[in-house]
Amino acid sequence: MSAPAPTAAVTSRGRPRKPPPSIGAITALVVFVAVTLWSAIGVEFTLSPLIVNLTRGSDVIEQYLHPNWEILTRPAVREGFLETLYIAILASLVGCLIALVLAMLASKVSAPNTGVYQVMKLILSLVRSLPDVAYGLLFVAFVGSGALPGILALIVFNIGVVAKLTSESIDAVDHGPVEAVEAAGATRFQRGRYAVLPQVAPNYLSYCFYVFELNLRASLVLGFVGAGGIGEVIMLLVSRLEHSSVSAVVIMLFAIVFVLDQASRAVRRRLT
Amino acid sequence: MTTTQTRSAPTGARPKPPSKARSTVALLATAAIVIATVWAVDARWERFPAIFTEAPTYISLMVEGLVQNPLEMPWSEYWTKTSGYMFESLQMAWMGTVIGALLSFPLSFLAASNVAPRWVVLPVRQLLNIIRALPEIVLAIAFMIPIFGLGALAGTMALGIGSVGTLGKLSSEAIEEVDRGPVEALRATGANTLQSLRWAVVPQALPEIVAFWLYRFEINIRASAILGIVGAGGIGSILSQLFNARLWDRIGITLVVIIVVTVIVDQISAAVRRRIIFGSARPSAEMATGPVEVA
Amino acid sequence: MIEFRDVSVTYPNGTKGLDGVTLTIPDGQFVVVVGLSGAGKSTLVRTINGLVPVTGGELTVNGENLVGASKRRLRGLRSRIGMIFQSFNLVNRVTVLNNVLTGRLHSTGMLRSLLGWFSADDKERAFDALERVGIVEKAYIRASQLSGGQQQRVAIARALAQEPQVVLADEPVASLDPPTANAVMRDLQRINRELGITTVVNLHFLDLARRYGDRIIGMRAGKVVFDGTAAEADDAVFEEIYGRSLTAEDVAEREPGALA
Ligand SMILES: Nc1ncnc2c1ncn2[C@@H]1O[C@H](COP(=O)(O)OP(=O)(O)OP(=O)(O)O)[C@@H](O)[C@H]1O
Ligand SMILES: [Mg+2]
Repeated sequence: MSAPAPTAAVTSRGRPRKPPPSIGAITALVVFVAVTLWSAIGVEFTLSPLIVNLTRGSDVIEQYLHPNWEILTRPAVREGFLETLYIAILASLVGCLIALVLAMLASKVSAPNTGVYQVMKLILSLVRSLPDVAYGLLFVAFVGSGALPGILALIVFNIGVVAKLTSESIDAVDHGPVEAVEAAGATRFQRGRYAVLPQVAPNYLSYCFYVFELNLRASLVLGFVGAGGIGEVIMLLVSRLEHSSVSAVVIMLFAIVFVLDQASRAVRRRLT
Repeated sequence: MTTTQTRSAPTGARPKPPSKARSTVALLATAAIVIATVWAVDARWERFPAIFTEAPTYISLMVEGLVQNPLEMPWSEYWTKTSGYMFESLQMAWMGTVIGALLSFPLSFLAASNVAPRWVVLPVRQLLNIIRALPEIVLAIAFMIPIFGLGALAGTMALGIGSVGTLGKLSSEAIEEVDRGPVEALRATGANTLQSLRWAVVPQALPEIVAFWLYRFEINIRASAILGIVGAGGIGSILSQLFNARLWDRIGITLVVIIVVTVIVDQISAAVRRRIIFGSARPSAEMATGPVEVA
Repeated sequence: MIEFRDVSVTYPNGTKGLDGVTLTIPDGQFVVVVGLSGAGKSTLVRTINGLVPVTGGELTVNGENLVGASKRRLRGLRSRIGMIFQSFNLVNRVTVLNNVLTGRLHSTGMLRSLLGWFSADDKERAFDALERVGIVEKAYIRASQLSGGQQQRVAIARALAQEPQVVLADEPVASLDPPTANAVMRDLQRINRELGITTVVNLHFLDLARRYGDRIIGMRAGKVVFDGTAAEADDAVFEEIYGRSLTAEDVAEREPGALA
């Protein structure tokens, strides 16, 4: 570090060579391109309907953009909405209660032993791998169509979601209180009740409200397979090609979801 | 002190225990709602016991389909056909995610308050919220099937547009959380806005954004199974047909294919996400766990 | 030459950051700014490259007026002023070389900067800068994998890659241990001497200020309260800059320890 180096004397001596791109990055790129090509070919991807014939289907879309609000006054629609609400309430309640117990078993912190914890984790991930509509189809086959299979399907679905989220909250719980309660000679159940539960209660409650909202939305799809609620009405309207009526009912459903969501936020704020 | 007694005589007023009225009211209200709901809903509860007789019967029928030699006709054909539909679901989910990622990436910058001005951020966020509220099945029925016709392409487009809402929101939040320091440093070198986005914001936020894409892919796999019910391609279409025809052996095969493929893809995707976020296979944190958001 | 003429800065919330500062910093000088926390050191340094807008008075850098300069002119001005931060402000997930190359963005076209295609010339400048701070061997390593001292050297290299006429440093060594802090200060001093770059450094440590500063500027409540050479800045002067209350607090803090 004596005299300043004149710019002409600059050489690449002592400079590191640029490393080749990492194998991981190349693999990722190749996999990405391959999977995207495979998918694009598989779904016959093309945007030409958008460009070639923009007006195709425009009459249907037109109807969706002009909702037929009168449909909402029909008693069948009102009953459909009420049924959706009932299904969502019962399924969230029962599902969340069962999920709390399973969540305790599915967390390292609160499970009695690793065996139980691992089996529970596996079961929960299997439960979550089926979409709600598959449960709907199964329970409709088991007990016939109507609100009952809807409730049962959503209970299973809710267990999958809430138990998973709650068990993760339990995993992240502060270990201090757990150790303190243990040091005071508490049983396993007492440990769960007094050291773990108070810590996860706010999270657990918000998950319960969250699945309630999911259940209101899910009623749309479940009705398509005969599992009760407003979805049955929507499917009937879809099959009759009454698009503007479908539009009105769907918009109404989202208005209800929105209002209930705001209400549940207010309740949550008071509870926590 | 020789005794182990730790109690002392009461020395004065002790605080009153706080009122439990609120939790009692909440509990009573919940109970009332449940009773009213059970009473009001026309669920025909008497059918519930049927589950204990019907379910075992049907499940054993499903198992029968599963235990057949999968290399023999017609079982081999059932397995390959079902897998074909499931792969179509995967393709729809992947392509939908790619479309969602492409569309949401620019939007997420416009929805980030540390990048775009307020008068851009607010309407873009509103747009993302509206898309988020629309389920894929509505997008499919109302827009994509009329435009693209029945089939996997309509489902793919519904998944793609449906993904823009959540992806845009999550990505813009990741962008809002970047460290301001490097951005300021680049501003101080005389770099313009686009250059400092490229070199200070994107490098910080991109790993998280890519993890969100993968996360959305996992959600889209489940969503694509639903879309088949309305004729938008994928495993859902065959599922409802099989249930209508009550072909229990093939239903069993279909469910197993869905479960196995979904679990495997979830595991791979979660491992990749962990690698992206932590740069190694270190497990931890919310981002590394499976998808739960369905809407 | 940097010229402050009765410069004031009032932040949007009403706080006065600078209060009627008049200063002239000739080319090639190594200036150290000292003062209590909140005295306005950062504000002073940041007005020089327009990161903090001046709200009163006149500020010219090499004859260019900063007050009311257009965005474009401001960018041009900033490209000739390097800046070094206390928290380094490197982009962690990017290689050292690319971090240094961000110092060349001001003269890189849009497409090239989006794709990261820096010209061979710019790469040469970046390597040159890395050699000057002695960490060229780390060029292809991610910035996050370096120690604090190494990261600050990369930040200095980024500033050098701009080929600046002025380098500003806002508490560049406050997050470093004393030996590393000295090494980084020596780097800055060497660059100032070798390349004749005007250097303005904010410091918290008085010994470093005396050791490296050609000139020391003391600030208090947004005003310049001392301006002289390192030799003139004796203990009495520092007491004046930092106020007597500090000494009193020092004593008060030590007392309980003395009793124990
Ligand atoms: N962005 C801002 N908005 C409002 N007030 C600010 C802002 N930045 C600084 N200030 C105020 O301006 C005054 C001077 O702050 P400045 O950061 O220049 O002090 P400093 O001498 O650098 O202090 P430190 O040693 O803590 O870095 C302080 O009162 C500070 O609270
Ligand atoms: Mg400061």
